Amino acid sequence: MSDRTRAARIIAKKQVFEALIGPGFYVALAVGLLLGYFLVSAFARSVDSSGFNPRLHPLYDAIGRALEGAFGTAFVDGLFAEGPLPFAFAVSYLPVFLYLAVSSVFKFGLERNAGAVELVVYGPADGTSYLIACYLKDLFLSLLALVVILGFTLAAAGIFNDFAGPALFLTAVVAFFLSLALLAYGMFASMVTANAASSLALFLGIVLFFLIVLFGSFAIVGEYVRSLSTVVGNVVQWISPFYYGNLSLQANAAGDPLGLLAGLALLVCLSGAILAASHFIMQARGVRP
Amino acid sequence: MSAVRRAASVILFLEVLLPACAQAPVRMENLVYSALAFNGRTFSPTFAREASDAIYLIAGVDSFLTVRKTFVYFWPITGEWKTDTDTLDVPLEGTLEVTDGKGRTLPIVSTRYTYYNEKGEYELNWKVAQGAEADRIWARWSERLDAYQAAARDYRDKAARVGQERSSLLARIEVLRGQGKDVAALVDRLSGLRDPEPPRPPQDYVVPPAEIQEAFILNLPRGSYSLRLRNPDGSIMEGSHKTLVVHEKRRSSGIGYEVIPGDKWTRPVQSPTPSSVLYVDGSSDLYLRPYLEDEYNDLFYAKTIRNDDRGNPNLMTWERIQQVPGASIQLSANGAAVEVIREQPWFVEQLQGATLGYKIVPYDPQGGQKDQEPSLIAVRIPLDARSSVVRLSALDSAGRPLAGSERQIRVVSRPPAEAVLPLLALMPVVVLLTVIIFRSSKYKRS
Repeated sequence: MSDRTRAARIIAKKQVFEALIGPGFYVALAVGLLLGYFLVSAFARSVDSSGFNPRLHPLYDAIGRALEGAFGTAFVDGLFAEGPLPFAFAVSYLPVFLYLAVSSVFKFGLERNAGAVELVVYGPADGTSYLIACYLKDLFLSLLALVVILGFTLAAAGIFNDFAGPALFLTAVVAFFLSLALLAYGMFASMVTANAASSLALFLGIVLFFLIVLFGSFAIVGEYVRSLSTVVGNVVQWISPFYYGNLSLQANAAGDPLGLLAGLALLVCLSGAILAASHFIMQARGVRP
Repeated sequence: MSAVRRAASVILFLEVLLPACAQAPVRMENLVYSALAFNGRTFSPTFAREASDAIYLIAGVDSFLTVRKTFVYFWPITGEWKTDTDTLDVPLEGTLEVTDGKGRTLPIVSTRYTYYNEKGEYELNWKVAQGAEADRIWARWSERLDAYQAAARDYRDKAARVGQERSSLLARIEVLRGQGKDVAALVDRLSGLRDPEPPRPPQDYVVPPAEIQEAFILNLPRGSYSLRLRNPDGSIMEGSHKTLVVHEKRRSSGIGYEVIPGDKWTRPVQSPTPSSVLYVDGSSDLYLRPYLEDEYNDLFYAKTIRNDDRGNPNLMTWERIQQVPGASIQLSANGAAVEVIREQPWFVEQLQGATLGYKIVPYDPQGGQKDQEPSLIAVRIPLDARSSVVRLSALDSAGRPLAGSERQIRVVSRPPAEAVLPLLALMPVVVLLTVIIFRSSKYKRS
């Protein structure tokens, strides 16, 4: 094991410990689980003798109308084909992911500004090992959160007699691989900006932009907006984690396991490329902004 | 007082004005492409107005296009564009030029055609006849139709004559009986009277041949093409440029189910997605009808059916094509032994009394439902609140399993244990409190 790897591992351990003794992770996880509970419980109340009918519960009525209006009936049918669990799982994970990404980006920017990173690199660690440590910490906590949410979702499935099928597990896998790339973008945003606030703004801007491009390609809108979104999408899709995530899900829907694996592998490659870019930027600019 | 009068006159003016505005949609003269597009199930009529960029057709099947001048208007009640062909409907002659992505142009001339759906094992046996063949089929059908109509007229005349004779005999018998005379001969004649046999309409077609029409017949491979109309004088018709998107199904022969709940038999729902799960509350039995389905691009398919419709270009959707003939369903409830249930006819009986309910009973053509048609032909899946999971798949008429027909029916439960879930969701907060307490006690000790 190289010095850099060892340093990254030790720093990551410290950071995980630090995160686990603070309240943020637990609160975000509890909020996510409660959201998941509301969704699974409301689904059970949206079912009558003829099947799932979103109009029977105000929560699903609102969700169904919003999603159908934006993306069409085929999208909603596909989303709930296996039941509520994949959707509830994704919604549960969202607060945890946002907390982890936002807190990491902000904290890294703050530490760089305060000179904490500079202090660390006087020892056996360097800037890159600190960067990797932050990334590893986020990955570990993401994985932990995904496992907890999956356990909770399976418990809910048992109680409500919902089907915990391939779509649920695929959602969990794609969520983890998406996190890999999005968290890498978080590190990248921390590297290219001068302070914590601008790191955060850049990161949220990047995520929002990719999301808008993705939703634009799915949305049921006029020809002009769709054409515009397709053109923009064709340009930026190669660096968008959501594009590869969607590619994996589409391949799975088409019964193409190789396409699914290729999509996930491309997410890993994209993460590696972004981290490498962050490393070179840090090398060039130094650990102090 | 004058203010009130002024307000009243404004309201009166608006009342007069508004309905006039609402009821007169603005009509615009447009060059439209009228399409009779085969959608995998039937031919759907639609049109592409001038503002529409593209026409959508399915690859490898005949679809029909005409170019015409007509009025178009937006009908806000249904949110659709419509044509006003009563006021203006001028078909344009010429040659349709279809150019593919490699720049090769295929000229298509207008052809006489008819289309029809013959009866067979499957619901759909669509055929298209062109030119002289179309004329021959239409002529044969017209002859048969005329013959049937003549036979029907003859039947009505004969039946009327028999009816009249029967009435007259009855009247005479009554009179003679009153006079105490012998009526045996008349009674014999009356009992010898037979109603004529009604003629049977032609049985060969589900949809008989359509009246001969003329159109550009397109049957193209998948791809994007450009369209334009060349006038008989060699010039290009202005505004006739359009993109033609020819798309095809991604997957075929999937199995979907029409699901008819026992308590809402007039409101069936679909289960189109293979391997999907049907959640129910178990308050009623289900009646299932398996059907064959094909998977198309959501936007392309929607626009094939109705050119101004909306859809999702990045999603695929399963579309019902036709019922599986002679299907049966193999099911296993709660892990019990596998059972095969054949589809059978059912009859919906209205319940007597003020409840206005109904019950679905097996169809009995010899008994209570004599001379009536069955209300539905389906496979009954018995369900109740204790049926936790029912796994099923469809078999064809020969008893072979149909790929992609596997489904689960799950009866959703809302047990008291549900209250455990919010407590579980708050477990991370409990862990947090434990950490805080543990750490504060550790600091106190140190």
